Amino acid sequence: MPAGILVVLLAAGFFGWRTREAPDEREIRARLDALRNEVNTSTKEGLGSALHAAQVGSYFTDDAVVELGEGAAPIKGRETLIGMVARLQPRTAAFRMDLDDITIDMVPGANAADVLLTASFTRRNISTGEESLDAREYALVMNKTDGSWRIARITAIDTLR
Amino acid sequence: MSSGSLTRRLVFGSDPRRTLVRVLVLAILSFVTFKWVLIPIRAEGISMAPTYQSGSFNLVNRLAYQRRKPARGEIVAIKLAGPHVLYVKRIIALPGEHIAIERGQVYINGAPLSEPYVKDRRGWDIPEIALTSREYFVIGDNRGMRAADHDFGRVDVSRILGRVIF
Repeated sequence: MPAGILVVLLAAGFFGWRTREAPDEREIRARLDALRNEVNTSTKEGLGSALHAAQVGSYFTDDAVVELGEGAAPIKGRETLIGMVARLQPRTAAFRMDLDDITIDMVPGANAADVLLTASFTRRNISTGEESLDAREYALVMNKTDGSWRIARITAIDTLR
Repeated sequence: MSSGSLTRRLVFGSDPRRTLVRVLVLAILSFVTFKWVLIPIRAEGISMAPTYQSGSFNLVNRLAYQRRKPARGEIVAIKLAGPHVLYVKRIIALPGEHIAIERGQVYINGAPLSEPYVKDRRGWDIPEIALTSREYFVIGDNRGMRAADHDFGRVDVSRILGRVIF
């Protein structure tokens, strides 16, 4: 085998080894991906709004806290969250959520992880069809309970203060 | 020369091995350039209008601030959790300065700031803010919006990814 190809293969192998993810990190990414898909599923696609809200709620722990900042009171508890998602449902049909730049730090010795990500919400004006984008950075605490990774806390981060 | 060999020669050149090396070098150079040096971005939203319209394509020079610090008036890309979603804003105040906005007019250390790039102005009022040695104050060019609908404020220097060059 020519030396050049061997060097390229070794470099690719080293890069792959350096960027490999632990199984828990892969699970967390898959879980967040599933949450994004769940949020983006509109009730028009077959799920009733209460069921859809409950599905979204299943990604959170019972005592989850969501802090959106900007003077808004924190949302405490999965049931409160489910209620809010159910009420918001008719509006969520007009927006799409994307999650980017996900960084996962496993907490040593605990079934917990700190996650940093950017959530983008693309809203579509139903009457004009015009789209607007709102992006924000969030810090998440995720816990593994009953074999599944769930969000225990979401805190909005003010990039511009 | 048959048409088949002419096509092969046009596609692969007279020396296919050398052509392959050139293609590989070009691919690697493009990858490195557009991943770490010039980041292509697409502006979304109207906060930088009229300088940048929503949907416009721009490039961010990540090396712009390797040898110097960001300057007032420059348009910069600001990262959120990473480099895939960015704010594009203009620097209007530098570290250590005091900034205030009174009825839409920006004041730096008490002196009014000339902003020829602002075409429409609402009467925004922002009380005086003292920036730390690591903070810049950034804002979009579209001041015809309501202040509540516009993302602007202090940003830590570590979040400035590079300069938007066009």
